[in-house]
Amino acid sequence: MSFFELTEKCQQLAVVTNERTYTYTQLAQQSNKFIFNSTQKELILILTKNTVQVLASYIAALDSGHAVMLLNYDINKELLAKNIEQYRPKWIVGDINISGYKSENLLLTRIDETSNYKIHADLAVLLSTSGTTGSQKFVRLSYGNLRSNAQSIIEYLAIDENERAVMNLPLSYSYGMSIVNSHLLAGAALILSEESVMEKSFWEEVREHKATSLAGVPFTYQMLQRIGFMKMDLPYLKTLTQAGGRLNEKLVKVFGEYAQQNNKRFFVMYGQTEASPRMSYIPHERVLTKLGSIGIAIPGGNLTIDSETSELIYKGANVMMGYAECLEDLSLGDELSGILYTGDTATVDNEGYFTITGRMKRFIKLFGLRINLDDVEKKLEAVIQAPIACTGNDDKLVVVIEKEEQMGHVKENLERLYKLHRSAYKVVILEIPRLANGKTDYMKLKESCL
Amino acid sequence: MNVEKLQQIFAQSLEIDAIHVVDELTYNSIPEWDSVAHMALVAEIEDQFDVMLDTDDVLDMSSFAKAKEILAKYEIEFS
Repeated sequence: MSFFELTEKCQQLAVVTNERTYTYTQLAQQSNKFIFNSTQKELILILTKNTVQVLASYIAALDSGHAVMLLNYDINKELLAKNIEQYRPKWIVGDINISGYKSENLLLTRIDETSNYKIHADLAVLLSTSGTTGSQKFVRLSYGNLRSNAQSIIEYLAIDENERAVMNLPLSYSYGMSIVNSHLLAGAALILSEESVMEKSFWEEVREHKATSLAGVPFTYQMLQRIGFMKMDLPYLKTLTQAGGRLNEKLVKVFGEYAQQNNKRFFVMYGQTEASPRMSYIPHERVLTKLGSIGIAIPGGNLTIDSETSELIYKGANVMMGYAECLEDLSLGDELSGILYTGDTATVDNEGYFTITGRMKRFIKLFGLRINLDDVEKKLEAVIQAPIACTGNDDKLVVVIEKEEQMGHVKENLERLYKLHRSAYKVVILEIPRLANGKTDYMKLKESCL
Repeated sequence: MNVEKLQQIFAQSLEIDAIHVVDELTYNSIPEWDSVAHMALVAEIEDQFDVMLDTDDVLDMSSFAKAKEILAKYEIEFS
């Protein structure tokens, strides 16, 4: 049983790189170079990079029914070592040397052959929920999750074999993975790139390879606006998609109007890695009338709001099996039964369009990186030994301290712990507002800082 | 004057020491100069020199030397 069934699409264009193009048959040949033979289900770690070899190994891994852990190749070395030690993958794909593994070309095989663990038959992909060293947790996605979400995406974006999507997001990131899955299952083509929209060569690729769609996180759209994307002449580019955090309304409007005037489609979408990842989208023709909303549930999915807590709840076949925090967890089956409590609070209008109003837990997303505000508080408090409070939105993290002399120390630690650029956070000196019970008044804090 | 000013802007936006801001300093050659920092850098240049850069110029500004060359087009002198 093969997941991608590449050979059915034989002569269609599958992959475009800067060096050459690959038909589906040729991509299958690349994928056949990776042989994952074993009498039992194994774990394969792929260090992702947008090259045809890495893509081929991902296809081979899923087509052979194993489980794949995806981590980006530039992952922190300590964290990589920790994951390898903890999960003991039988194979590792990457341009790297690891003790205890013998390597041949891009493929590393564990020397110690004993595999005394069991991996659940349904498990397909493990994706990390956070890029920081502190709280590594993996989302367990099944083959059924991936297939179901890809089918929904193919349907609402109307992806067909003429599509040529730029794939410049990491495959280890759920948004990037969903682009690969949906396009390969639709028989469309992927333009593999490691460049960002900030580079001139990126736009040369887009023009030369006649890209038809572009995907971006909020920061991508800020960059696109900054570089004057709206003035570029890109006749083949027909679809823009946005996910990975809330894009501010002003930019949604700017891109929505641009799309309308230039006969293009702009999709604002919402998801979480836990939902493989897509849950909702705004149909492109409604984007200007539904500004600020996350749209409607994807085909096959269902959104509701908990009447007591206002929490947004998603139901669908794409909801993860559960989390994994250790090797033993890989033997677990589906723990959620297709129901995901998103942790976001929302409202819904009379046409069924949902709008996120806040988060149950205090998370913000900076440049696609999920940051737990309580976690930041705890970590900083431990080093500065003084009252501290964090707030923020998807543009900025705000740290509030009460004494100016701690400023330097706080900044130093923020940059060390979270590798944040200075433009991504600010430190404010303020008396931290408190509730009657002495706890931080986060509502007031947010009002006075944002 | 303007060279020092631009050097300071680079040092601040990229969060590196001003002595490392030399003509050969190029985009993506150091971890500090990534796309996030580039956005901050361009915004800071526009602010401090009071110019609005064109699309091509934003994308072209791939080194310190190149930045001076581009700004020269906006009538900012560097010699």
